[in-house]
Amino acid sequence: MGQDSKIRVLIAKPGLDGHERGAHVVAYGLRDEGFEVIYTGLRQTPEQIVSAAVQEDVDVIGLSILSGAHLSLTRKVMEGLRAKGADDILVTVGGIIPEQDMKTLENMGVGGVFTSGAKIKDIAALIRAKLSRENGREEDTGISAEPLSRT
Amino acid sequence: MKDSREKIQEAEKRWEAEVLNPRVKRFNLEKSPTSFFTPVSSNNSHFLEKVGFPGQYPFTAGNNPFDFWKAHAKTAALMDFRPDWGGAGGVGKYGGFGTPADYRDYLLRMQSMGRKGGPNIAFDLVTQCGYDSDSPFAEGEVGKVGVALNSLRDFSVIYEAYTGDLDIDKVPSNFTINAPAAVIIAMYACLAGKRGIPLDRLKGTPQNDILKEFIARGTYIFPPRPSMRLLRDTCVFCCRHMPRLNINSIGGYHIREAGATRTQDLAFSMANGIAYIEAGLEGGLEVDEFAPAFTFNAFGGSMEIYHEIAFQRAARRMWSRILKERFGAKDPRSMVIRQPITAHIGCSSTTLQRPLNNLPRAVIGGMAAGMSGGIPGAFPPFDEPLGLGHSLEAVQLQIDATRIMIYEAKVADVCDPWAGSYFMESLTDKTEEDALAELEKIANMGGAVAAIENGYMPRAVAKSAYERQKQIEAQEEFVVGVNCFTGANEIDVSINRAVEATYDPELMKTAEDRQKENLARLKRERNGKAVASSLKILNSQARDQNKNLMPAICECVENDATLQEICDVFREVFGEAQPVKL
Repeated sequence: MGQDSKIRVLIAKPGLDGHERGAHVVAYGLRDEGFEVIYTGLRQTPEQIVSAAVQEDVDVIGLSILSGAHLSLTRKVMEGLRAKGADDILVTVGGIIPEQDMKTLENMGVGGVFTSGAKIKDIAALIRAKLSRENGREEDTGISAEPLSRT
Repeated sequence: MKDSREKIQEAEKRWEAEVLNPRVKRFNLEKSPTSFFTPVSSNNSHFLEKVGFPGQYPFTAGNNPFDFWKAHAKTAALMDFRPDWGGAGGVGKYGGFGTPADYRDYLLRMQSMGRKGGPNIAFDLVTQCGYDSDSPFAEGEVGKVGVALNSLRDFSVIYEAYTGDLDIDKVPSNFTINAPAAVIIAMYACLAGKRGIPLDRLKGTPQNDILKEFIARGTYIFPPRPSMRLLRDTCVFCCRHMPRLNINSIGGYHIREAGATRTQDLAFSMANGIAYIEAGLEGGLEVDEFAPAFTFNAFGGSMEIYHEIAFQRAARRMWSRILKERFGAKDPRSMVIRQPITAHIGCSSTTLQRPLNNLPRAVIGGMAAGMSGGIPGAFPPFDEPLGLGHSLEAVQLQIDATRIMIYEAKVADVCDPWAGSYFMESLTDKTEEDALAELEKIANMGGAVAAIENGYMPRAVAKSAYERQKQIEAQEEFVVGVNCFTGANEIDVSINRAVEATYDPELMKTAEDRQKENLARLKRERNGKAVASSLKILNSQARDQNKNLMPAICECVENDATLQEICDVFREVFGEAQPVKL
C-alpha cells in the first residue's frame, strides 16, 4: 500500500449481540497497525453496515459475531454488498465460529475467519496480502494469507 | 511481635546485600524475579479492624464460619448424592431456547431425569433488548441464545413445567434479564396472582443489573438515568411486596470478561452497587430494608491465584465498609456480598488451543475459591471455549475436580487460611487501596451513572482489553499453548466430547416462525382496548418521575400487552441509549 493511501477498515457488530471485547481489541489493534478504523458500535443491521461501508468507502469490513448468528448475518451483509456493487470490499469475520462453519463462510466469499487467540498482526497481514493481491500486486508479507484455523 | 520493626528492616537490608543482590547479579538480571514479604511489608497489627472473624464485620475472613454446602459435604459423599457444587442453590442449570413451549418441554424432560431445580432462564437477545419476535431487529435471533418471550401468556407456558411440588412458592427462579427486568418481575408477580400464590411467597433472583450492561454486556435499551428509575421502582416493589425475592445480581464478571483489570472490576462493581443502594434510598426505603436482598452474581476471575484470593477478601471488606460507614447499615446481612460463584479463573482464561489444559486452569481457580471463603468449584468445564454446550465428560471432570479439592485436598477445612500472611494482608490492602482510588475517580465524576454517560467506564474496559492483547502478542504475558510452548514437540491431547443432546436443532430452526404465529394469535385474541388503555396509563405515569411504574407495568402485563409494547412506551418517553464510540 502506498504511504498516502491508508487501508480503511469498518469494524462492525451486526445483530443484537453485545460482546464487544473482540471488536474493541481489533479496532484498536488495526489502528495501531496503521489502518484507518471506523467502529460502528453495537446493534447494527446488515443494511446499516453495508451502507456505512459504502459511504465510508472502506476496503475491509470486519464483522464481530458471538451470538451464533454468524451464518445468517454474514450472508445478509454479503448479499447487501453485492446488491450495491460493493463486493470488492474484503469481508472478514471474527467470533466464536465452529470449525464446520468456516468453510461455509469462505464459500460465501468471506476472506478470513478469526477465532479466539488470533493475533492482530496476523489479521493485519491477511488484510494487506488480500488487498495487494486484488490490486494485482503480490506482496510477500511472509505470513500465510489463509484464514486462521485452530492450531 | 518480639522483633522490632527496625530490627527486621535492618535484617532485610542485610539480606538484600548479602543474599539477594549477589544472586540477581549472578543470573544477570535487572531485578529479582520473586518477592518476599516480612512483618514490615504488611500492617498485621490491626487484625480485628482489617480481618476479624469469619461471619463478622468486616467479613474479610468470609461471610460465614462455614456455608450450607460445607455442613452437608460429608453426608453428600456418604449418600453418593450429586450436588451441583458452585451452582446457585436450588436453581437449575442456566438455559433457554426456542419458543416458550419448546423450553417448557425441555424443562419437563430434564425434570424426568431428576433435575428439579427452579428455572434459571436465559432469554433470547430479542427479549433482552426489548423487542418482540416479529420485530425487524428479531430476524435470525428468535429463540437462539435463550427462550423467546413476548407476553405473560408465553411466561405462563414456560411455567407449566413448574406446578405441584415444583410450584413457584416452592422453587426459586433466576432471570438473566436487565433492561426489561421490571417487565419480567411484573410477569412473575402476575403469574403468582393467576395461581393464587401470595407475592410474599415468591423466591428468586432477577439479574436487574443494568449499569454493567453499559460497561460490558451490551443489552441496554434506555439511557442510564431512566434505566435507574426502573431499577428504583423494582427495588421498592420487590422490597414491599416480594421480600423473599432478591432484587438484583450485581456482576463484575461481565466487566472483567470484557477486558477490565482487577482494579476496574472491583471499583466499577462497587460504584454500580453504590448507585443501586442510592436508588433504593431515593425510593424512600431504609438501607436495612432492602440491602440484604442485593446479591452479587460473581466478580471476574483470572489465573493469578494470589491476586484472586486477595480480591475476594478485599471485595468483602470494601462492600461491608461502604454499607456500614457510608450508608449507615446496621444489619450485618446488608453488609455481606452474597454470590453463588466466588473466586474463579474467568472464562476468558480458557484457551481454544490444547483445551484439556483448561482443566488444571479451572482447578487453580477452585483452589483460589476454596482458600477465600467459597466453594472450590473447578469452573468452567474445560470445553468452555469450544462452543455452546459443555460435554458430559467436561462436566464430569469439573465435578470430580471440585470433589477432589474438597474431600482429598481439604482445601476448605480452614477459614481464610491466608489470614495473617504478610504477603496476603499486604496484597489485600493494595487491592482495596487501588480499587478505592479508582472508585474515588468515579465519585468525582458524579458516580457510576455519570461515568457511563461520559463514556469513561466502557472506554476504560475497552482499553484494558487491548492492553492485555498487546501484552500477549508481545510475550510480556504468557499463555501456555497460545503464545509459548507451541513447538513441534508439543502434542494436542485428544479428547472425547459427547455434548448432551440439549436443544433440538429442528425446533431451533423453526422457532422464529412458530413464535411469530404465537404472537399473532395473542394479538388477535386479547382485548385490544384494555391493552391500549393500560399502555396509555403507563405512558403518562412514565412521565412522572415520582411514580412507581411497577403497578402500571403489572396492569399492562395482565392485559397481555407485549414486552416490546411496554418497552416502546419507555422508548418514547425515555429515549434510547446510544452505543458508546471508542
